[in-house]
Amino acid sequence: MRSIRRSEARATLCVLATLGALAACDDPRSGPRFAGARGDDAAPRRGGTFVFHHESDVRGFDPHVAFDELSNMGIKLLFDGLLDYDHELRLIPRLATALPEVSADGRAFTFHLRHDVRFHHGRELEAEDVRWSLERMLHPSTASPGVAYFAQLEGLDDYTAGRAPHVRGIEVLDRYTVRFSLREPDQTFLNAVAMPFAAPVPRERYGPDAVEVARHPVGTGPYILEEWEPGIRVTFRRNPRYWQPGKPYADRLIYELNLQRETAFMRFLSGDLDHVHRMTPADRLFLGQNAAWAPYRERKADADLWGLEMNTELPPFDDVHVRRAVAFVIDRERWSLARNRALAPLGQALPVGFAGHDPQLPETQVRDLARAKAEMRLAGHADGLPEPVTLWIGEGPTGKAYGELAQANLAEIGIRVELKPVSFPIYLRETGRPRTAQMIFGGWSQDFPDPATFFDPLFHSRAATPTDSTNRSFYKNPTLDALLDRARSERDASRRTAMYREANALVTREAPWAFAFSNIRLEAWQPYVHGYRIHLVWSNCFRDVWLDLPRRRLAQRFAPRAGVPAALLPFGGAR
Amino acid sequence: MIQLVIKRAAWAAVVLFLVVTGVFLIANAVGDPAAANLGPRASAEQLRVYRRAHGLDRPLSERYVRYLGALAQGDLGRSLRDDQPVTAVIRQRLPRTALLGSLALFFELCIGLGFGIFAAVRRNTWVDTGVMSAAFVGVCLPSFVTGPFFLREVAFRLGWFPVGGYGRDALDHVYHAVLPALTLAILGAATYARMMRSEMIEMLRADFVRTARAKGASPVAVVLRHAARNALLPIVTMLGLSLPLIVTGAIITEKIYDWPGIGRLAIESIDALDVPMILGIVLLASTTVQIGNFFADLAVAALDPRIRAGASR
Amino acid sequence: MDPRAFRRFRKNRGALVGAVLVAFVLVTALFGPVLAPHAPDAQFPDALDRVTGLPVGAGGHYLLGADQLGRDVLSRLLHGGQTSLFVALGATALALTSGLSVGLLAGYLGGPVDTLSMRSIDVLLSLPFLLVAIVVNRVVDSPSLLVLCGLLGGLSWMTLARITRAKTMQVRELEFVQAARALGMSQTRIVARHVLPNVVQPAIILGTTLVAQMIVAESAMSFLGLGVRPPAATWGTMLSDGVSMLSYKPLLMYLPSGMIALTVFGFNLLGEGLRDALDPKV
Repeated sequence: MRSIRRSEARATLCVLATLGALAACDDPRSGPRFAGARGDDAAPRRGGTFVFHHESDVRGFDPHVAFDELSNMGIKLLFDGLLDYDHELRLIPRLATALPEVSADGRAFTFHLRHDVRFHHGRELEAEDVRWSLERMLHPSTASPGVAYFAQLEGLDDYTAGRAPHVRGIEVLDRYTVRFSLREPDQTFLNAVAMPFAAPVPRERYGPDAVEVARHPVGTGPYILEEWEPGIRVTFRRNPRYWQPGKPYADRLIYELNLQRETAFMRFLSGDLDHVHRMTPADRLFLGQNAAWAPYRERKADADLWGLEMNTELPPFDDVHVRRAVAFVIDRERWSLARNRALAPLGQALPVGFAGHDPQLPETQVRDLARAKAEMRLAGHADGLPEPVTLWIGEGPTGKAYGELAQANLAEIGIRVELKPVSFPIYLRETGRPRTAQMIFGGWSQDFPDPATFFDPLFHSRAATPTDSTNRSFYKNPTLDALLDRARSERDASRRTAMYREANALVTREAPWAFAFSNIRLEAWQPYVHGYRIHLVWSNCFRDVWLDLPRRRLAQRFAPRAGVPAALLPFGGAR
Repeated sequence: MIQLVIKRAAWAAVVLFLVVTGVFLIANAVGDPAAANLGPRASAEQLRVYRRAHGLDRPLSERYVRYLGALAQGDLGRSLRDDQPVTAVIRQRLPRTALLGSLALFFELCIGLGFGIFAAVRRNTWVDTGVMSAAFVGVCLPSFVTGPFFLREVAFRLGWFPVGGYGRDALDHVYHAVLPALTLAILGAATYARMMRSEMIEMLRADFVRTARAKGASPVAVVLRHAARNALLPIVTMLGLSLPLIVTGAIITEKIYDWPGIGRLAIESIDALDVPMILGIVLLASTTVQIGNFFADLAVAALDPRIRAGASR
Repeated sequence: MDPRAFRRFRKNRGALVGAVLVAFVLVTALFGPVLAPHAPDAQFPDALDRVTGLPVGAGGHYLLGADQLGRDVLSRLLHGGQTSLFVALGATALALTSGLSVGLLAGYLGGPVDTLSMRSIDVLLSLPFLLVAIVVNRVVDSPSLLVLCGLLGGLSWMTLARITRAKTMQVRELEFVQAARALGMSQTRIVARHVLPNVVQPAIILGTTLVAQMIVAESAMSFLGLGVRPPAATWGTMLSDGVSMLSYKPLLMYLPSGMIALTVFGFNLLGEGLRDALDPKV
């Protein structure tokens, strides 16, 4: 048998050196691969397939249950609500003919439905469907996280307790008219109606088997679920019966799931994906600095809230001083730097742009090590905590990065942090259970443009529920509850703002969260994609996308002249 | 021969039974699925509800018997993650991993055997040295080092292959599989090249090859028909052993290339602590090992003149 | 070691390269924490660019640059090497001990002990290694380095046990063993004094390559994010962290990759060299 030669070692070093040299050479990515000719004002074209993605897995497309961004990306295609938002975040009618008639006391809302709306299976939408769907969502057996938004509905208590077969506050006046009546005026009610929780579904297709419902959605939306390969991709087909003539434009939308961020970004640059979001900080930096992409990208401060949620029912965070110590030790500026400025530091309970946000708020949580240590002394832990705390983070590099940043900060006041990385579905399910997660790195993005969208689900005691709780710090404060309830029904805008400012100060001071930042959203799309803009409420909403097809085909990267048989082209040639 | 088949098959069944038992115990006893799913601070009430919902409140022995009973009827239970039948999900993913695996095997054999024979024929020249050095490096490079590198440099920067994913139709799937298959094949190809080379050198020295040569057989015929054919024997054994590598060894590669096969399913299920699914995948993997071993034994019996003679006698 | 074997080993340049690499890796791992200029988990304010937040490059205050959170890469590599090697060596030691003892017992005692252990080896060998390792590591409540060692070691002793058993069965029949038995030597002494020294060779060879395999296994698990818990650094976790910075700081990924490859290469070379030296006929 041969012996090992010196040259083998030499060969290895050569190979390693080559690898290193290849790695060090300049990046050829210069800009978009495809050209787009038309402006967004050109007449939209029909046809084509649009491919978008997310890095995690969807839980299901039941609009009454799903409450996460990536399920909603699909739900907005499959279902329409009575109301909708335009890009300036104003309420506009969608399945309703107009904004509802509001009674003089602000407690009754009458909606008239369009007469030309059909479900995917062909039946016409009726007012009865609206009532049935809402009652399904509100029924205790559905265990919907959306119930809290409709808490003011007249007769809801009787219904949930099983004393009444229907909710008194939902009345079908005729085939196309439905009226909602509230116990108290609620300034957020119309926003709630616009949420997918109120999306009408056909009652004959939504039996008691929730899993099947999540897998075979039937709605009134512009797209129909064609195929769902769990964990891999969801394909949506154009709804030919859609009530808006000519819409939707694209024949198919493909939703790729579980793509890693780095891979997804490379696939986008190679033309494999038509839209990209959620990049690694480095890829973001590249996209943001590259002038060639400037017309096809959008940067927008997101209306969301991220930070460390501390479970106020579990020690040591049942002590307000420990929570405040955490809030004062978080180095928000440093976090922003470590994420390559992809986020805007935030030290209070409301992001910029919401009524009640106050840049001069005296209670603002800022980095102040001395104060953090003082709070630890007040809590009786001058030398730090004897036991480590567990910080739940989403699995993957992003969660890990924030986990490690928090770990380093908290170590400065003697709190040892053990990280618990869990996958997204488990994260959602487990952190919503009482007395389960001690500390969570998490966030909340707006469901509608109103300060209540943060306070009510995150800090109202009503939102601390036995399962799927959205108040994941399980913070319960009667004073705050009362304040929030008053603010919700207050019809005077300036008084309402003052109330939310007070609530903001209270929550920021009590620190169930150590507020850290809002994201700055950056998304890009291929030049031939039109009709898409960042929508701050619906996050990624692709229902109006249209494709500039001829340009795409001409610019096809592996054009047949390159000698590659058409069958070998990605997507088998043209889409 | 038939006796051998029966004996091997029976033993394979016993091993599988033991594997199922072992993994069932590990998955259910070492970590309580309820606690794992509910977190360490779950209330007793929550645990009770969860356990009852998933049949976990029954004694372990009863659950075990029930699982075996279902298993005997080909039922692997339902996934805890999305309540789909485990068999259906595996059936959906298996062809993809099989495509990736068979393509990888094809590359392994082409590259490995080709270079192995080549190096043996040219032994002790710079060609031999070069090939064997490369093979040695290949053995030392794990897929999580080569994978991201290929993905970035070959697929993305050079643009020769798609950047991960699975594609849309049959040919497209193959096109998407090439790069992950190559990544997966490096280790095997290097191993085969090294094995083939040493076997070939031995065979080229053997008497019967010398005889063939003396009889005036052409050099190509000598190398291919006489030497290589006999050198294949240990390779075939290896082939059987690398079958399971191809079914589950693809965990990392599938993750890197976002290839939706069994490997990624395994990772997804482990993320969700989806015990029935994990059991199903482990069972599948062990079955493949058994089948691989079985065919390796058969192939040895079929190819080795001594055993073949013994069997027919 | 037999002087002839030693001479063969010394003449084998590849093996020497392997030995040097292994020695280098072992020394850096052993003294890594002493050599490391900074704490591995410390996040330095000046290690990130003030405007973009990109980590500073190699050279300057941080010799090999900083990672995306502003930690010193060199220190992390040194500490990470220690962790990686600790896991690999621990697992290998466990695999060697159990492989040798099971092989010896089965081979020497024969009978039901032999059947039982060989059959359980069959079972263990048909388990998918990486999958089972990940599952168990995930299921255990508080995964630590020791758990990881035990896991990797416990799943990789089988080949050695088989080889040892075959060798033991040969040695058992040799005259001097028979003689010792006739002289009334106790079983334990016979095994320890006469059998073990004659079957230990494959263990040495296999053990060396096993270290390489264990490093790969640990890195693979960390690469999937299912190995050691953050913020502990191993080369595997550094590699998976580095992937996200590939466009700007390829070193963050290529350095730990290179260390893994180099270590694996060194141990494999050494293993092959040892085999050629100790077992020249193969």
